[in-house]
Amino acid sequence: MNTLLDIRNLGITFDTDEGPLKAVDNVSFSIRQGEVVGLVGESGCGKSATALSLLRLIPMPPGRLTSGEVIFEGRDLLRLPTYELRSIRGRRISVIFQEPMSALSPLHRVGAQLVETLQLHLPIDTRTAWNTSVDWLKRVGLPDPVAQMRAYPYQLSGGMLQRVMIAMALMLEPALIIADEPTTALDVTIQAQVLELLREMKSKDASLLLITHDLGVVWELCARVVVMYASRVVEEGPRRDLFENPAHPYTRALLDSVLSLTGRADRLSTIEGQVPSPLAYPAGCRFAPRCPHAFTRCRQEQPPLYTLSTDRHSACFLCDKHPTAHTS
Amino acid sequence: MPPLLQIHDLKTWFPITSGVFSRTVGHVRAVDGVSFDIAPGETVGLVGESGCGKTTLGRTVLGLEPRKSGEILLGGTPLWPARHRDTLPLRRRVQMVFQDPYSSLNPRMTIQEIVTEGLLEQRLIRPRDRADAAVRLLQEVGMEPSVLHRYPHEFSGGQRQRISIARAIAVRPELVICDEAVSALDVSVRAQVLNLLIDLRASHNLAYLFISHDLGVIRHIASRVVVMYLGVVVETGSASEVLDSPAHPYSRALISAVPVPFGESRKRTILKGDVPSSSNPPSGCRFRTRCPLALPECAVRVPVLESVTPGSTRQVACIRKNEILDR
Repeated sequence: MNTLLDIRNLGITFDTDEGPLKAVDNVSFSIRQGEVVGLVGESGCGKSATALSLLRLIPMPPGRLTSGEVIFEGRDLLRLPTYELRSIRGRRISVIFQEPMSALSPLHRVGAQLVETLQLHLPIDTRTAWNTSVDWLKRVGLPDPVAQMRAYPYQLSGGMLQRVMIAMALMLEPALIIADEPTTALDVTIQAQVLELLREMKSKDASLLLITHDLGVVWELCARVVVMYASRVVEEGPRRDLFENPAHPYTRALLDSVLSLTGRADRLSTIEGQVPSPLAYPAGCRFAPRCPHAFTRCRQEQPPLYTLSTDRHSACFLCDKHPTAHTS
Repeated sequence: MPPLLQIHDLKTWFPITSGVFSRTVGHVRAVDGVSFDIAPGETVGLVGESGCGKTTLGRTVLGLEPRKSGEILLGGTPLWPARHRDTLPLRRRVQMVFQDPYSSLNPRMTIQEIVTEGLLEQRLIRPRDRADAAVRLLQEVGMEPSVLHRYPHEFSGGQRQRISIARAIAVRPELVICDEAVSALDVSVRAQVLNLLIDLRASHNLAYLFISHDLGVIRHIASRVVVMYLGVVVETGSASEVLDSPAHPYSRALISAVPVPFGESRKRTILKGDVPSSSNPPSGCRFRTRCPLALPECAVRVPVLESVTPGSTRQVACIRKNEILDR
């Protein structure tokens, strides 16, 4: 499979009143053609900032690009002129946002927003665009699509709006779809509908970057998983391997804190302490203060992302096969 | 043991008004005839999707919403409406932990003021003992006494929820209503707060009405589960019975919809469509519009919540429950 998107050493800092806040720190990973990649982490770990920066959706200032490049189809998205980027946004790379309520314009009918999207990118007349939109609403399973086209977003439920968003993101057949917590705002029965839809609708060669904190959703949808903690990638690997043999203590702890529906423990395993503030990250490994395996080296140096095997990486000194060797 | 809390045929309706004279044109039947009990020290998990009435039910028990009809008894005494001067001792016995730790703490009060306000109001301590009481409470929820004079904005979500819990247990209540108390927290912090709630339950002999849409959380904290759909109870029973072998088609779909890591993908029932409006619920069984097993009869007959076997605490409101359980 060919690499579709390559993120290399991405760094984003926000200038806040309290000082520079490193939201994304030296993040690298790639997405292959047709692949579903899950980007997992807790709130504030930088997963959304990473995803939004791919299309330069981060307001700058206060945001600031400190390092890195994002190569998509041979071009660096971070340095592309705006007019060229516009032909990629929505057309080659589309985004499904977390809250469909705030992602759609409340002042325009659903149909007008779909038609606009099509006409911005394709040389087609309004009638064709309208018919294509109705067609897509039908494909995403909205009942009575013509009526929904004439409705305003407030007249639709959250699940229905998310279907509209999915139709809007898919109808230009982009090469990459970024879904930022697409089901977090939805109820579990509606979430099941939307996940099923994403699975069915995604064409074979389109790639999907799914950002979520829900490991269950990752397990169901993703082939490969990237785990972030405190602005950095801590582990990466194929889904089954990563879930069954997590190499980083944070991944292991995260998996342990998943609550099973069938069994019940007297006490839940927890990760002690809290996520460090991005304004004051500890020196060394950022998970060290909460890590049960931390030793002296962890508190002094930042672990690099070690390669365990092809596709399998972990930023933990326990994965260092040559502990005496010098690491940068 | 006599029940601590008895809810009998409780209804909470909200009027829908229209026009300049605010004429009532209909009602949102948020809670529409709910009955169940909570024993002392018991944890009942109340589950359902948004809009099913679980939060309204919790708020009605606490007296934050006026009920339309039905009874709420606490240790045999009717809870609301009591004469105003009688409400104070009742409020001491029932406390609440809210979902959003960012809006449920007064930003202008210090932590000490927040956790001891109830104690002073109830005249359980003298004002000069305030600091001592606050230190004791903070220790119980695993926080440093040094935070006494700080303000809520200085704390993370998990710590704020600990402060909310300290405030709730301060007056030694018998029942604590936890409305999505851990839903806003990240997984690593959620487990810490759940463990705290489990510890406090043992040390204070607390009963919880634990409202959550997260079935994994309910499985770990509740001994009994009540499943609501569109204002009514569709199934109730012990947590293991209901979650391991649900008998109502709605509970089955709800449980199968939860994505769980590990293992092979399970066969799941995907419900069609959205939850109908609670101002105009479907006739007969309210779930029939989305139910994969609905019969024509379901539109006519309102299923009653009845025991699956005589005398069993496992109750299901479905005319096909026996078929489902036999399969």
